[in-house]
Amino acid sequence: MEQAPPDPERRLQPAPLEPLGHPDAGLEAVVGEEVEAARDEGSGDGTMTENNFWLKKIEISVSEAEKRTGRNAMNMQETYTAYLIETRSVEHIDGQSVLTDSLWRRYSEFELLRNYLLVYYPHVVVPPLPEKRAEFVWHKLSADNMDPDFVERRRIGLENFLLRVASHPILCRDKIFYLFLTQEGNWKETVNETGFQLKADSRLKALNATFRVKNPDKRFTELKHYSDELQSVISHLLRVRARVADRLYGVYKVHGNYGRVFSEWSAIEKEMGDGLQSAGHHMDVYASSIDDILEDEEHYADQLKEYLFYAEALRAVCRKHELMQYDLEMAAQDLASKKQQCEELATGTVRTFSLKGMTTKLFGQETPEQREARIKVLEEQINEGEQQLKSKNLEGREFVKNAWADIERFKEQKNRDLKEALISYAVMQISMCKKGIQVWTNAKECFSKM
Amino acid sequence: MSGGPPKALPSTGPHSLRDMPHPLAGSSSEEAVGGDSTPSPDLLMARSFGDKDLILPNGGTPVGTSSPASSSSLLNRLQLDDDLDGETRDLFVTVDDPKKHVCTMETYITYRITTKSTRVEFDLPEYSVRRRYQDFDWLRNKLEESQPTHLIPPLPEKFVVKGVVDRFSEEFVETRRKALDKFLKRITDHPVLSFNEHFNVFLTAKDLNAYKKQGMALLTRVGESVKHVTGGYKLRSRPLEFAAIGEYLDMFALKLGTIDRIAQRIIKEEIEYLVELREYGPVYSTWSALEGELAEPLEGVSACIGNCSTALEELTDDMTEDFLPVLREYILYSDSMKSVLKKRDQVQAEYEAKLEAVALRKEDRPKVPADVEKCQDRMECFNADLKADMERWQNNKRQDFRQLLMGMADKNIQYYEKCLMAWESIIPLLQEKQEAKWQVAFTSKFEENVIPWARLTD
Repeated sequence: MEQAPPDPERRLQPAPLEPLGHPDAGLEAVVGEEVEAARDEGSGDGTMTENNFWLKKIEISVSEAEKRTGRNAMNMQETYTAYLIETRSVEHIDGQSVLTDSLWRRYSEFELLRNYLLVYYPHVVVPPLPEKRAEFVWHKLSADNMDPDFVERRRIGLENFLLRVASHPILCRDKIFYLFLTQEGNWKETVNETGFQLKADSRLKALNATFRVKNPDKRFTELKHYSDELQSVISHLLRVRARVADRLYGVYKVHGNYGRVFSEWSAIEKEMGDGLQSAGHHMDVYASSIDDILEDEEHYADQLKEYLFYAEALRAVCRKHELMQYDLEMAAQDLASKKQQCEELATGTVRTFSLKGMTTKLFGQETPEQREARIKVLEEQINEGEQQLKSKNLEGREFVKNAWADIERFKEQKNRDLKEALISYAVMQISMCKKGIQVWTNAKECFSKM
Repeated sequence: MSGGPPKALPSTGPHSLRDMPHPLAGSSSEEAVGGDSTPSPDLLMARSFGDKDLILPNGGTPVGTSSPASSSSLLNRLQLDDDLDGETRDLFVTVDDPKKHVCTMETYITYRITTKSTRVEFDLPEYSVRRRYQDFDWLRNKLEESQPTHLIPPLPEKFVVKGVVDRFSEEFVETRRKALDKFLKRITDHPVLSFNEHFNVFLTAKDLNAYKKQGMALLTRVGESVKHVTGGYKLRSRPLEFAAIGEYLDMFALKLGTIDRIAQRIIKEEIEYLVELREYGPVYSTWSALEGELAEPLEGVSACIGNCSTALEELTDDMTEDFLPVLREYILYSDSMKSVLKKRDQVQAEYEAKLEAVALRKEDRPKVPADVEKCQDRMECFNADLKADMERWQNNKRQDFRQLLMGMADKNIQYYEKCLMAWESIIPLLQEKQEAKWQVAFTSKFEENVIPWARLTD
């Protein structure tokens, strides 16, 4: 199976990446810095591979989304959203950025890129894409893909995806990724020309391996278990959070009714009137404050969703390991049986049942020449088999080593990101509480003047 | 207490106040002095809220002898005494100590009524009796009968409207107790009602049932006559001020009804929000069990959400117990006020009709016949009483709502403050660097395997 040459010895820290928490910040991939550092160390270092396309620090942003119509593969009219991707290279000295590339991509192209990366980098935990369709929506949020809020959140998600790839020590070096950002036309054809679809493992094969593998690395088994549980718990969390948001919305909005009735009541009162009226205004403020609050919270939900989808990426790596391990086990089994056959032929003992053995018994033994020929064939096969087994073993060990390195990197990233997400969630709650205190304190003051 | 003409209460104690010089004796316009009994602190605190409590004129008028003249002088005295502070009160009533009684026929709750007073009408300075809801209901009916020209405060609802509430639950009993306490305090504050015979008996009699059976109602002169006012007279023109009061009460009741519905809806939404929160928090705990470094932060968030849930539950309980009942009370109040207004209309209508009849008779006698005069008397009395009560009611209403709404705001503030504290306290936990707790050598292994050793260092 072809793979782009991995860089297992690379010990560099993954580039610091600001996760989804800051959509408005200028997000940078400090990919170039790795390169810079490498260059500073001296080109004889050998740390610069030939697949390095970024010579400078770059900034990537998905800056716009546009509705478009066109004809699809079946020549039917369709509406889709296109996203503008801008790449800037940052001048080292003064930090000014220069726009180097700018092109439009649609979601399906992002999917294509990701599928390609999955095939060519099976030992990497490939960053996930934002969801294709809106899920875990609470009632006010639209589940429509064309809804501007959804499109906006998707734009942020896609930007995040690109930044994750660009700051991954291995993935950032991929040419197809480079072309995705720089070559608008013909990119799809270029990807398809790599023939990656053919190289993809069939789902059926993978499933079979999962059931039949005898000795997978224990760590991968545990990791698979973990990713299943993670997926389950985050799904549950997102579902309940959506319901919580729904209810909270209801609570705030009903308070708006106080505004109207206080106003009406104040009309028939003399001294109480002013206090009531102004308190009613604060109730209106309170009721309308929930919209911003919940919009901010969607952000938090998106951060959780990313890791929900990352769980799938983790499982993909585990599956690959199981497949390779199964393959290895099958090859070893095959080799062992061939060796045994050979031995039996050589010594003349029949330990195992074989059709040849049966027919020999029934129809008489074969000639020594025939037997010699067979032994020779088997010996050749055994030789080949041993070579293959050796290389498969090596491959397998390489895979495990590389995969586990990336998994460790991923774990660090996950812990960092989720901690940040929890902190920003707590900050959101604190802000909501403070707003609540403010509004009710104002209302209380109005009531006191009644 | 044995039966007898209710005019003068037989002494029940070892000595009667009558034997002593009345500490409050003197001209009727004098300010009431505190007398021997200083109100005990708990009674002071149990007073009804509102800074502008009405001060009772000293001595007061024994119920049996009210007349139009004394009604209006009463009005004058009220206006004079309005701004005095509570130290001049001479009657304090509290409702507390609910107890359940289980009998063969039924189970019911009684409340302890404690009365402290220096008034002449009370033989003893202090009384403590037990009454049940029925007794309050009886009292209110008697007051309505005997004081038809006055606004009688409402009682909490007799039956539980919305099905599933437990009549004997702590919350229900406490809510009812507060309402009954408010009811008695409102009567206590009223310059006329507080001197009512039935009220006195209610507060003091050891055996109220015996008194009830007497069936002898003592009515004021006006009360007696109002009772016999026949309906069926059409009102010519309602005086502007009473028309205005009527319109006001209509709108007022309407708005209160709306507020009641809104408040109920809010509580309902909050409870549904609470249900979801109670599922939400524990999911973070479940997640925490899967993780290594994130375990503590996630557990912290779970606990935090739990705290917020508790705070929310307290808020909804408070609103249900303290806010809604007061609203309902005022709706009942304005309903009963409307009926008093109707009665007033009838009195006026009868007077007008009789007057017209006289005019039509075309008699030479310029003098207005006695019965028409009586009608006029009645009407003017009614109007004066009602006006005074309306003013008092408006003032109290303002105080009550001011306090009620400020209380609502307060409860919400407290809720948010509790949540704020919870979230602020976990920020340091979330930001805490975990590296110090974990040995570097273990980081290459899958985190779950590392936990037992590292956690011991917490």
